[in-house]
Amino acid sequence: MSARETILNAVRAGLDSRKVDAEAARREADALLQDLDAIRPKLPAGALVDAFIARVTSPKVAATAERIKDITELPAAVRRYLDAHDLPPHVALQPAAVLEDLDWVALETRDGVKPDDVVGIGIARWGIAETGSLVFHSGPETPILANFLPLHHIVMVRERSILAFLDDYAVAVAGQRPPRNVNLITGASGTTDIEGSLVLGAHGPAHLHVVIVENDIHGDIDADKSTPGASS
Amino acid sequence: MQEAPVSFKLRADRALADPTLKIAIDRTTGTAERKRAVAMTQFPQFEAARERGKRIKNHVIANLDHYLLEFERNAIASGAKVHWASTAEEASQIVVALCKQANAKRVTRVKSMLGEEIGLPHALDEAGIERVETDLAEHIVQLGGDRPSHIVWPSMHRTREQVSEMFKRAHRVPHQEETIEAMVASARRELRDKFLSADVSISGANFLIADTGATCTVTNEGNAELTTTPPRVHIVTAGIEKLVPSTEHAFLMLRLLVRSATGADVTQYTTFHCGPKQAGDRDGPEEFHIVLVDNGRTRMLADPALKEMLRCLRCGACMNHCVVFRQLGGHVYGGTYPGPMGAVLTPVFDGLEQSRDLAHACTMNGKCQEVCPVAIPIPTLLRGWRDRSWREGLEPAAARFGLGIHTFVASRPRLYRLGTAIAIKVMRLFSRGGLVRGMPGLGAWTKYREFPAPAKRSFMAMYKDSEGKR
Ligand code: SF4
Repeated sequence: MSARETILNAVRAGLDSRKVDAEAARREADALLQDLDAIRPKLPAGALVDAFIARVTSPKVAATAERIKDITELPAAVRRYLDAHDLPPHVALQPAAVLEDLDWVALETRDGVKPDDVVGIGIARWGIAETGSLVFHSGPETPILANFLPLHHIVMVRERSILAFLDDYAVAVAGQRPPRNVNLITGASGTTDIEGSLVLGAHGPAHLHVVIVENDIHGDIDADKSTPGASS
Repeated sequence: MQEAPVSFKLRADRALADPTLKIAIDRTTGTAERKRAVAMTQFPQFEAARERGKRIKNHVIANLDHYLLEFERNAIASGAKVHWASTAEEASQIVVALCKQANAKRVTRVKSMLGEEIGLPHALDEAGIERVETDLAEHIVQLGGDRPSHIVWPSMHRTREQVSEMFKRAHRVPHQEETIEAMVASARRELRDKFLSADVSISGANFLIADTGATCTVTNEGNAELTTTPPRVHIVTAGIEKLVPSTEHAFLMLRLLVRSATGADVTQYTTFHCGPKQAGDRDGPEEFHIVLVDNGRTRMLADPALKEMLRCLRCGACMNHCVVFRQLGGHVYGGTYPGPMGAVLTPVFDGLEQSRDLAHACTMNGKCQEVCPVAIPIPTLLRGWRDRSWREGLEPAAARFGLGIHTFVASRPRLYRLGTAIAIKVMRLFSRGGLVRGMPGLGAWTKYREFPAPAKRSFMAMYKDSEGKR
């Protein structure tokens, strides 16, 4: 007998060989998702974007954030960040058309990210107010390493794609074919492995700066390649 | 590297005599306990969330074959290869064979307790494959040539001074300044090129998502994604109890897991892995393997006295809050998993005869159950092991005397409650200023340690009162 059969048989025996009714299981699983407000934290009153920013800049997440009106203001925002941190004018861009099409003026940009990059600029698909997280999907315009190699990570997110809760992200993508990787990123990388004391910049970025864009942006990251169907 | 088997009592005596160990343990568990307490005040929904989390895990366990098959189907549809392993040996053999098939010279690993459980570090070393541990704590454990002593902070038995010394010996460009920041930077420099030059990466999973076939990991350092993205092959090993029905269910569990583990609301990185590189992807592995591991879990499922342990999220809260763990550290437990949860699990993996002492190294103060995010009645499960050890005649004569009384009393609830009440009074007799010192019968224990005197009334008594108030 294969290990697979052995295990499945042992599981069934352990469950008194009861036959699982898939429909009943689904109904029960759905019922366990009811009344979410009773089991998740409350968001502060007011606009979602404010709750998101408050969270991102809180000591829990310890990132920095700013708002801009239009995506065309992003290069200037990046410039300000570099100046404030005394960084050279070289930045690596996530290879997304939305970013590459901007006028980067005096900044030297490079497509793609290298192991020793100091500043990387990316674009997140969603923000989550509950936790201050940024959500990335791997794809042709979103290499995963771009989120982890640079020392400073500057991430743009659209105001309209800020969601209230983690659950809202799950609902937003339900039924779509998942990308290879989904990264929910909440603050800079850190470790508490030496005596429990927190140090930022463990293996990933040491600094995270979030730029929220108010106006709608035309053109989507990876131009929506999602196809429904992976779920059963 | 396997230590020669020494008795629990001997290991405990050694740990108690180690002057730096207690300092190291206190620094980490103290912070963890404080941060969790703060997180709880900010999450008044915790009790309700915990009840829901418990029900979700119970639901999955009650339908485990269904969810295993659903997960397998969706994982295969995503392009993953799914393997099944009944035992630890089978699991590590599958992983080693996959590494050899990939002609792997260098393998990078993300910390996973299941990997430790199946003896993966050892199996890779035996096979002559270079193993690079990328999690900072596991890196420290690897340099120190010992074993993890905690499931969330594997190197918590090391003080910063010891870590500094190890890094100076092993790193190519070690730190100059004696700060933790500088040490972390030293590890970052040392490991960076290794991430990018490995042939295979191996990681674990915090959740397996049945309706997408994805595996989910929660980490803080950023090493996991740096590890699993560049190599051509990525292997995930996971216990069959890690399933949840959907991503939404995973998020509910995540809220409980992270707060209980570190006191944060989420970890810095929550990543879902679904299959290998897709058409057009810029990076990612060509091959994605998932090894589903039983190793005793189906035995636990069939055993009413252990089934509830399958809910365990491996958060570590029970050990952070355990008076015994905080005196002795994790190595004393002698198995992969330390602390209260380890005392329940180790007899499953290593046999009761080897590990029967663990169930006795418990004050039954109920703290572990109180903080457990899925409400596992650990003291009850430990009592189950005690009873079994007694029934199977594994207790030596000397212990049988004490235990005999315990068992006699424990099987009579009214006497038991009275018994604990008496024990508490006795312990208080020996306490001065709230600390127990030199109580007869505790020997080495109180020779080295002071421990807080018990609360004036037992957990059960207080629990009953609070129930009455509801
Ligand atoms: S038994 Fe409970 S508290 Fe202990 S590690 Fe498991 S889930 Fe966490």
